[in-house]
Amino acid sequence: VKLTSSEGTEFIIDRKVAEKSVLLKNMLEDVGESDMAIPLPNVTGPILNKVIDYCTHHRDDPFVSQEDDSKKVSDDIDDWDAEFCKVDQGTLFELILSANYLDIKPLLDLTCKTVANMIKGKTPDEIRKTFNITNDFTPEEEEHVRKENEWCEER
Amino acid sequence: MPELMENILNNLDNEFYSLYSCALVSRHWCKMSIPILWQDPFKFQKKPMFISRYFSYLDEEEKVLLKECGIIINFPNTLFNYAKFLKVLDLSRLEENVRLWINFQISNQKIICISKDDLANLLFKLFIESGAILSKFDIYFTEFIIKPNVFYSLGQNEHFFSRLQDLTVDVIIDSFDFGVEEAIMLLRILAKTTTKISTLNLGTFGYNYEPQIYQALVNIIKSQGNLRRFSLICETEFQTAMCGVISALESQRKNLQEIKLDGCAYSAEFKVLMNCEKLKVLRILYCEEKKLLKILDTGLCKISTLEISSYPTDASNLLSILKKSGTLLQRLKLDSEDEICSQSLLFDTLIAFCPNITHLYISYIKLSAELLKLIGSLQKLQLLTLRFVYNELEMENLDMQFAKILPSTLQYLEWSYIRNDILLNYCEAPLKKLKKTLKYVSLSRSTYISNSEFNNIRKDLEGYVKLVRFEEIEI
Repeated sequence: VKLTSSEGTEFIIDRKVAEKSVLLKNMLEDVGESDMAIPLPNVTGPILNKVIDYCTHHRDDPFVSQEDDSKKVSDDIDDWDAEFCKVDQGTLFELILSANYLDIKPLLDLTCKTVANMIKGKTPDEIRKTFNITNDFTPEEEEHVRKENEWCEER
Repeated sequence: MPELMENILNNLDNEFYSLYSCALVSRHWCKMSIPILWQDPFKFQKKPMFISRYFSYLDEEEKVLLKECGIIINFPNTLFNYAKFLKVLDLSRLEENVRLWINFQISNQKIICISKDDLANLLFKLFIESGAILSKFDIYFTEFIIKPNVFYSLGQNEHFFSRLQDLTVDVIIDSFDFGVEEAIMLLRILAKTTTKISTLNLGTFGYNYEPQIYQALVNIIKSQGNLRRFSLICETEFQTAMCGVISALESQRKNLQEIKLDGCAYSAEFKVLMNCEKLKVLRILYCEEKKLLKILDTGLCKISTLEISSYPTDASNLLSILKKSGTLLQRLKLDSEDEICSQSLLFDTLIAFCPNITHLYISYIKLSAELLKLIGSLQKLQLLTLRFVYNELEMENLDMQFAKILPSTLQYLEWSYIRNDILLNYCEAPLKKLKKTLKYVSLSRSTYISNSEFNNIRKDLEGYVKLVRFEEIEI
């Protein structure tokens, strides 16, 4: 299967790897066998490369559907996946967007979970620093939110 | 994109403090995290002070009522209508949290005179009328009586249950105080207003029999478009009463993927299960598994998770289903309260037919060369629990061999048998070799090991792996 990234870089991958993406799977089923490259205007070359790495590593994993809400055995991330997610924040967010666009649920779950782990246990200020967010609350608004939810402070 | 941020924050579902932090980051983060923080506040295991925040959205008449009862509404205008965000409601937890809230007010010298039931009913009605749409609902019919105005609100707000995916109903009929009529009414509403339930857990306990309750449960099963998981805990005496419920599963035979039966006596009604073509998870706990497995022993049988609990387990009853499931079988839990019968046959079958097991839990077996051969043959094994393993001949070489054959894919290990000190001593080298992949160890202490010895072993292990409680791991 041929894929073209947003800059026009071409990637050739196995059909089984491509089918980890529901978007590509549906396209391939609709179009059938074809030499035409599938354009992916929303995914850059370096990100597509990472996505292909992920799908290749997990090519034999069972399919996880959107409605599969079965309980996970452990909420830890597998070693290979943890290593895969050791990227800068920009890349991580682009991976989330690409996983969403290409409809690869396990990759979307993994990357979202990685970001959630970056939030876990942090104070509001630490979260702002981590993701470079400006606090746009007025002091009164912030106090209001704090007061109404202060029950959560009891740890 | 809001839905992606929601996906990220949903991973913090159980992290009240982290979600609270998120709510204070910025306006946008506040808007995204508050609905998640408030979707199931009743599972917050500290003082339920959040209950007071709901009062500002009660109608004026109810506010006057609370005032008359001595309850001062401290938050007259909350930023959000928090009741609207509720997605999970467990009536027993609601009742318990209300009780704790009232007790806390009284302990602070506040004179309030409202019953637990009145306040719980007031909140239940508020959730319905606030526009909340539940995804999970747990009903525990005991003494908690639902009031008529709650039923009226349910009639006016059918959306409340319209997206319900997960329903648990525990019926305990052993008291005359039990609100049978209310229970029937609520179950009938559920049958009428739900179509999307994918997980249904039923439990029946008690000494009385109320046929209308079971008829309502039958109707709930038949109303669903795609019931995938079904679990039933029942007392043997009530088998007759439950039969209608089992037969109703015929309507879900094309959807059911997971079935758990606990304490159910065998009846011919269970034959409906043989037509469940998508069944892949089967858990039979303290039932007549021999007869039940015989029913399921058809060409359709492709089980990926099999759990059997009994006293004791006779492995010869399982051989056929194991052979038929073959390479599809990934998780196997055999929780026997006495020595498993036909162990050699079990090991031979698993070695020959089930090489793809990733999760294995066996209790009450002999440490034998065959067991070691089985573990050595499971090259995809990730979680291994061996409980009540006995080394009949106290052969130290078996302990050593056990340590050596542990597959490099293993992430979790629990063992508890007589000479586990020997095992730990001898397995030191393999554990070091496995440190890159062996991530979790659950260590239980035998009485003959002193505290200091145990702590030393623990410290040594913690150098390589993370120690976890075995309850945290689910097969």
